[in-house]
Amino acid sequence: MSRLLVVDDEDEVRAALKRRLEREGYDVTTASSAGDAVEVIQSQSPSFDVVVTDMSMEETNSGLKVLQDAIAHDIFTEVIVLTAYGNVANAVESMRRGAFDYLEKNVPGVDIYELLALKVGQAMERRRSAISTVRRLEEYAIRQVQ
Amino acid sequence: MSDCESTTQHAARAEEHGLRAEQFLRDLNSLFAEAVRTGGDQAFLQRTLDACVRAVRGRRGFLALVHYESGEVEVCNTSGEGWSDLGRKMRLHLAQETSRGITGHVALTTQPYVTGDVDSDPYYLRYFDDVKSEIAMPVLGPNGQTRGIINIDSERPNAFDADDMAHLAALAQAAAIALGIEGFRSRETALIEIGKTLTTTLDIESLMNKVVAMTAEAIRFEDCSAFLIDAQTDHLILKATRGPLADKIGAAAYHVGDGITGWVAKYGEPVRMEDPQSDPRWRGRLNELTTDEIGAFLAVPIISRNKIVGVLRVVRRKSHAPWFSNRFTETDERVLLTIASQLGAAVENARSHARLVRSERMAAWGELSARSAHMIGNRTFALKGDLNELTYLMGTLAESEQRREIISIVESMGRGIERLEEILREFRDFVVATQLHAAECDINTIVQEAVEETFPRRSKVRLKLVLGEGIPLLSCDEKKLKRAFSELIENAVSFQPEGGEVRISSSLLSPEERATERLAHGREYVQLEFADKGPGVAGEMKEKIFLPFFTSRVKGMGLGLSIVKGIVEAHQGLLRETGKPGKGARFVIFLPLGNQENGSA
Repeated sequence: MSRLLVVDDEDEVRAALKRRLEREGYDVTTASSAGDAVEVIQSQSPSFDVVVTDMSMEETNSGLKVLQDAIAHDIFTEVIVLTAYGNVANAVESMRRGAFDYLEKNVPGVDIYELLALKVGQAMERRRSAISTVRRLEEYAIRQVQ
Repeated sequence: MSDCESTTQHAARAEEHGLRAEQFLRDLNSLFAEAVRTGGDQAFLQRTLDACVRAVRGRRGFLALVHYESGEVEVCNTSGEGWSDLGRKMRLHLAQETSRGITGHVALTTQPYVTGDVDSDPYYLRYFDDVKSEIAMPVLGPNGQTRGIINIDSERPNAFDADDMAHLAALAQAAAIALGIEGFRSRETALIEIGKTLTTTLDIESLMNKVVAMTAEAIRFEDCSAFLIDAQTDHLILKATRGPLADKIGAAAYHVGDGITGWVAKYGEPVRMEDPQSDPRWRGRLNELTTDEIGAFLAVPIISRNKIVGVLRVVRRKSHAPWFSNRFTETDERVLLTIASQLGAAVENARSHARLVRSERMAAWGELSARSAHMIGNRTFALKGDLNELTYLMGTLAESEQRREIISIVESMGRGIERLEEILREFRDFVVATQLHAAECDINTIVQEAVEETFPRRSKVRLKLVLGEGIPLLSCDEKKLKRAFSELIENAVSFQPEGGEVRISSSLLSPEERATERLAHGREYVQLEFADKGPGVAGEMKEKIFLPFFTSRVKGMGLGLSIVKGIVEAHQGLLRETGKPGKGARFVIFLPLGNQENGSA
């Protein structure tokens, strides 16, 4: 089963995200701060497939730290950053550092949970294809050696 | 024997004469010294009068001062014997020819007068039975008018000669100097007091009140009023006054340019005149005295940072004695101008303080709203999750009347949340509106883009676009300005659902236009106009529409115009609504160009 980590400092938000993503059939773990998230990420084996993290928690750019640790632990982990209150500068920075996408929490008239479910699905797909590409390259390399 | 006697008498008289001359010089010397040192208080005037009586060997005398408003001469000091309490408080009415007396005659002619035989004198009014001679000397003010009269009598016939006249004239001179110094001193004190008040008072209303009260110490007047220009409506608003107009404080008095006061506000020149009623500019509105009563009028502009911000005005009653001029002097005008210029600086001071407080409040408010918006945003997000789940669960239930009902409620909640998120967005926009990213831009391009993006393609509203030529590039935040223009266009269209017209124009203001709009000198301005033919903005709303959360539209939170104003002010520009209520709204934006204009340009 695909494994997900949801990081947000608001209980209600964590609960809502977990419920929605579990409905999609994912195995969802939660963390309530960037500090917690880092511990959970490092103790996981195999690592999470996708990490969904809030941007502003302990710091206004805590999400960047989660992103950095997730990728450091497993280069193929996909990270989706959630931002509230249009923190565009941080969102752009997270894309630059390799996030899969960023979503704004409060877009009037957009059901962000459906959008997130879609994005997580796409992130899973990209992770699978990236891993399979690497596998094929590995197999090719091994055959070359033989 | 008789020769001897006459020689002795002669010697005695010569000695007495010498003593008197010596006494006179001593008196004169000490009086001049005192006049310069202390000014002309009551005690000084008494000593002067006593010296006068001594100098001319009079029996008794009095000193009377002239009241210009009432046209009366009032006795303030008496010397010698026989004065009744009534006599000490004597008043002569100069308007009545028969009761003027010698004192009144001197007051009007400003010339000394002497008579050696009062019984055959045409002016003399008998008050004491024993009087045979009388001498009267005017005390003149700096403008040559009579301030007072020194009057001395004698029981001897032909008592006063040319020497007496000369002595009295010298002593009267000392009194005149003392009174003059007294006047300057009280003026100086008043001006210093005004200066102090101006630098320590930051509330404009109480500032103006104090100044009006203290101006009374510096200039003689019946009443004084201070007006400030309200830039939104271009009216002079009465801010402070002393007399019968007190209940009109806060009322719009004149349109700038209207009446003499309005003229001063428009052209920034002082007006000083007698009989203002005969001036073609006279409107006779909102005066402290009735039109018939006003005898003299003086109004000066209050100028702050090269801009006319108001008018300070004083009036005098017509004198009851038509021979007296009750006009304001050049000195009065200079003093009032000094007060007005200090007041102008103080108004600027108070206004910039208010601006500072407001901007600090806005900053604190922005900070607070940013934080609460974040929190509200997160809660809303969680709520959206619950709603999403609810919608999902509803999908698993079998079709029923109840289910349809619940679905409609869920949909309504969804709309509520959507609205909440729109409000959050407006909040955020408001906070970031004033953070500029400036670059050199062509203002006409920005206007055109705003029109293309905002003006509906199919509309019953006609668009009139008049873009001025030769407008230099402007250092501005293109996106923010476009946002502001779009907001104004949207407003204009939405207020004319049955069709109408939106007129948008841009132009570079000429120096004359800048003066008319009372914009800062030495800086070029671009003017942008957004006018419609909708219902317009009612007078009392003209200020309020720019406040956050004020709206007469159902949709939107009413941050719209406050954001527009915030954006314009962040560009150091001005936003005004100058339309006529009922005829349509007219928003005018003045944006300063970065360059300081050259003197020659």
